[in-house]
Amino acid sequence: MAASTPSGAPSSKEKKYDRQLRLWGANGQNKLESAHIALFNASAAGCEILKNLILPGVGQFTVIDDKLVEEADLGANFFLDEESLGKPRAERTAALLGELNPDVKGNYLVDSLSNTLSAKPELLNPRSTPFTHIVIISPVPTPLLLQIPIEIPVFLVNCVGLLFTLRISAPLHTIVEAHPESLVDLRLLNPWPELSALAAEKTKNLEVQQEMDGDEGMSDHEHGHVPYLVLLLKYLDDWKRRPEGDGTHPSSYKEMTAFRSFVQDKMRTHVPGGSEENYEEAVAAVLKHVRKAEVSEYAKTVLDHPACANVTSESTNFWIIAKAVKQFLESPEQGNGLLPLSGGIPDMKAESSGYVALQNVYKNKARHDAALVQKNVQSILSSIGREPSSISLEEIEIFCRHANFLRAISFRPFSAELSTDEFHKKVVKDAFESWDADSALINDYVAFRAFQEFITQNNGRAPGDTEGPLDEDTVEMQRLAKAYLSEVGCSLELAERTENIIGELVRYGGAELHNTASLAGGLVAQEIIKIITQQYVPGNNTILFDGISSKTGTYVL
Amino acid sequence: MTVADHPKCGAGGLGCEVLKNLALSGFTDIHVIDMDTIDVSNLNRQFLFRAADVGKPKATVAAEFVMRRVKGVTITPYYGAIQDKGPDYYMQFQLVICGLDSVEARRWINATLVDMVDPENQESLKPLIDGGTEGFKGQSRVILPTLSSCYECSLDMLTPRAAVPMCTLASIPRQPAHCIEWASILEWPRIMGDKKLDNDDPEHITWLYEKALERAKEFNITGVTYSMTQGVVKNIIPAIASTNAIIAASCCNEALKIITSCSPFMNNYMMYMGDEGVYTHTFEHEKKEGCPVCGTLATDYEASGEWTLDEFIERLKEKPDIQIKKPTLSTERRKLYYAGPPQLMEMTRPNLDKKLKDLMDSGEEVAITDPGLPFSLRLNVIFSK
Ligand SMILES: [Zn+2]
Repeated sequence: MAASTPSGAPSSKEKKYDRQLRLWGANGQNKLESAHIALFNASAAGCEILKNLILPGVGQFTVIDDKLVEEADLGANFFLDEESLGKPRAERTAALLGELNPDVKGNYLVDSLSNTLSAKPELLNPRSTPFTHIVIISPVPTPLLLQIPIEIPVFLVNCVGLLFTLRISAPLHTIVEAHPESLVDLRLLNPWPELSALAAEKTKNLEVQQEMDGDEGMSDHEHGHVPYLVLLLKYLDDWKRRPEGDGTHPSSYKEMTAFRSFVQDKMRTHVPGGSEENYEEAVAAVLKHVRKAEVSEYAKTVLDHPACANVTSESTNFWIIAKAVKQFLESPEQGNGLLPLSGGIPDMKAESSGYVALQNVYKNKARHDAALVQKNVQSILSSIGREPSSISLEEIEIFCRHANFLRAISFRPFSAELSTDEFHKKVVKDAFESWDADSALINDYVAFRAFQEFITQNNGRAPGDTEGPLDEDTVEMQRLAKAYLSEVGCSLELAERTENIIGELVRYGGAELHNTASLAGGLVAQEIIKIITQQYVPGNNTILFDGISSKTGTYVL
Repeated sequence: MTVADHPKCGAGGLGCEVLKNLALSGFTDIHVIDMDTIDVSNLNRQFLFRAADVGKPKATVAAEFVMRRVKGVTITPYYGAIQDKGPDYYMQFQLVICGLDSVEARRWINATLVDMVDPENQESLKPLIDGGTEGFKGQSRVILPTLSSCYECSLDMLTPRAAVPMCTLASIPRQPAHCIEWASILEWPRIMGDKKLDNDDPEHITWLYEKALERAKEFNITGVTYSMTQGVVKNIIPAIASTNAIIAASCCNEALKIITSCSPFMNNYMMYMGDEGVYTHTFEHEKKEGCPVCGTLATDYEASGEWTLDEFIERLKEKPDIQIKKPTLSTERRKLYYAGPPQLMEMTRPNLDKKLKDLMDSGEEVAITDPGLPFSLRLNVIFSK
């Protein structure tokens, strides 16, 4: 990514990518530009996926396909034209896709997945592969799928008629910037000394009405501009000290509503308009912000992960900083049970200087926490033989700001799913026991599972893709679906929905419809971008789309 | 596949996708309307345009590209506003797909299609399919004018950007955005006088950025950047190719179902959320009773007889389901306030300070027109006790 020009005006690249940089920033864009995507099978869906990665500027792509362009391809694939007829699909789609963005390097190989695996194994060996991410458009027989090393992220797509599925298999995926709605963590019930001191000072004469200029009282203007955070801190303290109270913070819903009235009653009502905006903001914030600072389940999953405890010289920066944050959390001298502070506060009614002073108390605490984490990082780096300054303070600060929203996602490998292990059985059984099972997309999955089995047994031929009678394939698909259900331990009767989906799959004979392919192209590219940028949260691990009822479903299979 | 005479509005992010999808789904006669020209910031998603096309009309370039690539399809572009065309024009189509980026344009096409419905003539009912995206999120919906919930019925689902009070901008800024709005709303007219601020002129944006930066320094506020200045002034909504592809395909999927009757089409609203996993929610948005466009009755509106007319207008402006800016108000028996022409404005201005109870009776119907409203809004103003 080229940096901005000195005047602050954007570079030409920043202009072109402006609308997406507002989502994933220069950091995400750099990761995107370092990625190299391989597409096996240049179908319409495959090309639409690439299109949505090339436009935002993925580094490189390689189309791998061994077919020649036929008339039928032109009716579904926008990245083929009449001139392409009879020529290699890989070559033509790479050329037309390449026109989308001159900053992206396009390559092609006239080859198949099975031949690549046997004749050019170095291309799919995790140590020598040029590809960072692999997209495979079905049909792919199961044994081929299982040959792809689990170290490379793979996106397997089935796209037939009005239906499609996406299965993601990837190594442990970590996210710092999940982009939650808000990072705000006000610590109203866990204030640190500087925050308490500021609140006490700013509310010293809160109850005293100013009678004349220069007396100790607070004028209506000042009173109406005390930031609501400060008001809540002050009134929480007062609440604890009430003679009738028990010395604790409000916690139950009943206490919270009582506390809300307690704040409301302190508002000056003789002012113009009869109310004060800062008090109204304080009242509205009670239920949302008056709560104990807690470590989220997601953050716990990360900090309790074995990769966090077992940091080695092979570990990524993510796990090294995570370990340092865990040390911070557990150390009585550092976090003492709390994560590093995010440091942000929302906008609120206040004078500029009062707001900035409050903001600085939060920012300083966040900076202080991050500096402690940095010390921990440095000693961890030394202990694993890495340069102590090899992780920048900036990276640590971003990590600390997002500490409560960290994610670590383990994508199960294809082998675990396709061998129908115990975990898989439980997920499917649970899905069939849910209240909406009749209409749930788990029924579609059963049909697609039969589809995968059919392809495997018929050497890559899709059900319905035949000169013979369709009925035979339908019967075989139903038999395979029942066999799968019996393996899982579910009822052997096929649900009506599963039968309908099987009917759809056979009717289209494995063929793609452009419009569904285009939807798949958007959705799959979206998930790939989330994985490449390590921002936002990808679906785990199977996403199904049904264009008949316009529904999606996600299962960890 | 049926040959469908078929228009769509917008050749932007959604529009490019929709044209491609329709052409490859067997539609052979498509019309496209768009008033924009191609900007360099479109190239990250509007895949029918290249760097050499910057400055040319979107509708024309998009139509030519798709016709070149897909044989047997005719696409007729119109470079202009959807409002340039009237009911006669829209009557020739089977359905309308909208990928518009402005609330005003959507309200206009919605009201126009609802207005066109003649109960005696089946053909006059034109399904409207509407799509929109923001970042990783989006929505698509099917509107059967007069029969199902219309765009106006759901206007309150929009969350309007909270306006910052003028006093905050003028004297107590706290956020970088406050400094930027101060520069564009207060400082530009003060220094530049009548010169119009052009959001697309980099020199103007640079001027605002520098002013905002100075002001931020003065108040110890950090975080003003050029990119943020542009974002605030132009109200930029993040947009990416992948979300556009999802929403456009969803719209076209419904168009196909409506035209071919192959399976029931969506009833009637789908939300897509891609920030965290992939989540869609499909539900029936209900017709709003008293919808000013597709409803038949005037809506009740509670007011105090003690309010001045001015106060009444200010409160109406704040209502998210009305969204008016410079309204003209009248009752059956008198003109209440006219926003123009000047003579009428002068004549009715004194009413602004009068109390509602001195201008009308409780329950009286007030008709409201506004440049932002493609129809006349009728309210039964009922005085609360
Ligand atoms: Zn309506």
